[in-house]
Amino acid sequence: MPSSLTPAVLAELQRIVGDRGLITAVNQLQTYECDGLTAFRVLPSAVLLPESTGQVQQILRLCHRERIPFVARGSGTGLSGGALPTEGCLVITFSRMNRILAVDLANQQITVQPGVINSNVTAAVSPHGYFYAPDPSSQTVCTIGGNIAENAGGAHCLKYGFTVTHVLEMTVVLPNGDLVTLGAKTPNAPGYDLAGVFIGSEGTLGIATEMTLRIMRKPETVQVILAAFNTIQAAAQSVSDVIASGQLPAAMEIMDRLSIEAAEISVHPNYPSCEALLLIELDGPEAEVNLQMQTVTDICRGNGAWETRLAIDEQDRFLIWKGRKAAFAAAGRLSPNYIVQDGVIPRTSLPAVLEKLNAMAVAENLRVTNVFHAGDGNLHPIVLYNRENPGEEERAIDLSLRILDVCVEAGGSITGEHGVGREKQCSMSYMFSDPDLETMQRVRHAFDPLDLSNPEKLFPTPRICGERSRGAYAPHPLETSGIAEVF
Amino acid sequence: MSVSVAWPHHLTDQLASLVGPEHLRIDSETALTISPANTAQVSGILAFAHEHRLSVCPHGAGTKQTWGQGKTPSIFLSLARLNRVIEHPWQDLTCTVQAGCNWAALQQTLAAHGQFVALDPLFEDRATVGGVVSANDSGALRHRYGSLRDLVIGMTLVLADGTIARAGGKVVKNVAGYDLCKLMTGSLGTLAIITEVNFRLHSLPRHTRHFTVAAPKASLLAGLVASIRASHLLTQSLQLRSSASGCFLGIRLNAHPQAEQEEILAQMTRAENLELAECGEELWGTRDSLFAPEATVLRISTPPDQVCAFVDELQLSYTDLEVHTIAQAFGLCDVALHGAPEIITDAIRRLRADADTTVAVLQLGPGVEAPAFEIAAPVLSLMQAVKHKFDPESLLGPGKFFREA
Repeated sequence: MPSSLTPAVLAELQRIVGDRGLITAVNQLQTYECDGLTAFRVLPSAVLLPESTGQVQQILRLCHRERIPFVARGSGTGLSGGALPTEGCLVITFSRMNRILAVDLANQQITVQPGVINSNVTAAVSPHGYFYAPDPSSQTVCTIGGNIAENAGGAHCLKYGFTVTHVLEMTVVLPNGDLVTLGAKTPNAPGYDLAGVFIGSEGTLGIATEMTLRIMRKPETVQVILAAFNTIQAAAQSVSDVIASGQLPAAMEIMDRLSIEAAEISVHPNYPSCEALLLIELDGPEAEVNLQMQTVTDICRGNGAWETRLAIDEQDRFLIWKGRKAAFAAAGRLSPNYIVQDGVIPRTSLPAVLEKLNAMAVAENLRVTNVFHAGDGNLHPIVLYNRENPGEEERAIDLSLRILDVCVEAGGSITGEHGVGREKQCSMSYMFSDPDLETMQRVRHAFDPLDLSNPEKLFPTPRICGERSRGAYAPHPLETSGIAEVF
Repeated sequence: MSVSVAWPHHLTDQLASLVGPEHLRIDSETALTISPANTAQVSGILAFAHEHRLSVCPHGAGTKQTWGQGKTPSIFLSLARLNRVIEHPWQDLTCTVQAGCNWAALQQTLAAHGQFVALDPLFEDRATVGGVVSANDSGALRHRYGSLRDLVIGMTLVLADGTIARAGGKVVKNVAGYDLCKLMTGSLGTLAIITEVNFRLHSLPRHTRHFTVAAPKASLLAGLVASIRASHLLTQSLQLRSSASGCFLGIRLNAHPQAEQEEILAQMTRAENLELAECGEELWGTRDSLFAPEATVLRISTPPDQVCAFVDELQLSYTDLEVHTIAQAFGLCDVALHGAPEIITDAIRRLRADADTTVAVLQLGPGVEAPAFEIAAPVLSLMQAVKHKFDPESLLGPGKFFREA
């Protein structure tokens, strides 16, 4: 047994969750040694699969008493190492807490457990004409609990907002085992908006064990247009012009030539062959969408789009999105290894930043391809490299982190949706000053004075950032098998 | 300017030296108002107050200063001189504005590029950005655009010990670190003083039409409200006004005329045996009038599907009181009560006994007694722990949220 846990503690854990709820065998623990950031692996001391809020409370009380760190985990699809175990920790996973507890259509709410898969929320209300808006690309496998930890986004958050916009109330077990309700099913919960801080805190403030989510009326009509341009700048200008015209599309995405070619090889979406492809999705009442689509098409043509293709029926839209979503997995067709980044910049700096990134890539003699949520300035540059070439991996990692620096310098952020986790915690000190980070730590210590809940994540620490070992991106098994794609 | 016994010269002199004597005003023996010019001066004042254990309340235009029912602090820190719109990169649909900026002035600046902060708070002509954010105020636009937690993307803060910190950023999409902006929004100046706010903006709607439907009781409008909420109409706001003389449902549509949504709305109204009338915008500016000096004003949260029934219940169950309600269909009712103080005090107690509703007391009429908020014990102690980490000496917004402070 690799466990640093004493037999007495193990026996107590077993009493709480039962035989089936406790994993200690090394070969089984290996399943939990990493998440989507596979370059980092740590074997946990034990994995627990609780069945109720009460069991989670008992586990955390025990952890608190024995000073054992714990890491909550959903499906392990996170890309920043948020669910990476800590040395000697317990991993608490929610595959046995995966029930939908209540649907309240009159109030447009649904109450679920944290292990419910994102797309199952929409599936539960879809027959009634509703949907759950946050749609990370891993939505067919990722859990609501993980979405809350990361404040997950998706292609459609341009219009609909992030997870935090759609969570009304949560039952939360605090790191000392106390139970609190954060937020409320009705507007304006009294006091501080602790729910707003908890969502996106990457598991460092406690564990949510039940949540009430907002559901929305499905739009009457959805239309997608594909526009082909000769330059990224022209596509980016079209995005700015659409925004300036007062429209708020559901999604606006740009792919560059390399990404288009990769997508074409892998899923054949039949995209036009061009330097930059702009994809715009509009939704709403049919008459309104028809009018907006005319404006959007005119803007694209005015900026030099030489082909515009409209997809109205579901089959066409599915193929277009399939190509877009496959773009990252398809990077594997361009290069044996690659690193995906997740920077954000003000939309208007797009042309200038892209030029800078190109120059940096040329100087390093590395290829960088770009796929991005252009509507909200969220870039996903993919640095292509070959690990077999001596020194190339180090240069690729270095380039990918310097790309984040450029995003910060442009007034943006080091992460738009993947989170900080282990991957980017050293970049936090480039984006935030020490007083900013110390202010966040005040919140951390109000919730978790002993640093037990997902320790050594999110914040830069001398131990980790001193080592400067940030590791390379390696595709998640789910990604290579085509179950989920990186957005 | 005469300095009282309670304000020894050495303290007022030192404070005056931070901002210039013309920006310090002695209000009473125990209170003064100081007006810093920038974030650095705010930091200097708070560091000084911290060192001398002096309590401080941030002050904008004073329209909501009594929310939270705090005690009078030693120092009112006026943000009146931090009143600029710092930048409006309109193509990014964002802006950065100082906390003391007048709300209407901000909106006027943004309107030059056809944009706005999609929020209609109380007292728009007087209220300041910092005050609106600190009080987490919202109005009818929340139906479509959400509340401030969906609109604030970044802030500059000064903590109780004078530490200057930034939270969030200038981009709409950002998950780096804790979202401290959410924590500050609605904290009534008890955790830190906000000196700058970054907003995400929306384009001003191009096609807005206002409609009203009248009924003697709100329950007669419940079917229509439910079908509008479940429809595909581009509804910007859905607001119910109720008093002893009857009810009016206000509906604002944002659709292009060619979408002919008003025709769909008219059909839905006819199906409920009600009559739709087009009206002017003046219908919407009426929430301020609830705050007459003698009124007790409550902000009550209810489940959305119970709003109409609740509005009727207020009229029918409290017959000794004059009740005016302006309710948003998403479940937030601003209610003005006039009448004998003991009856109002009792009414608030009865309303708070109902598990489905939450009552915040925004304004107390003379003689009325009720705490501003009721917060459940387990989460209250967590909030106190947060407060203690930010302001261990309880110097900011004394008495607000936590009465023992």
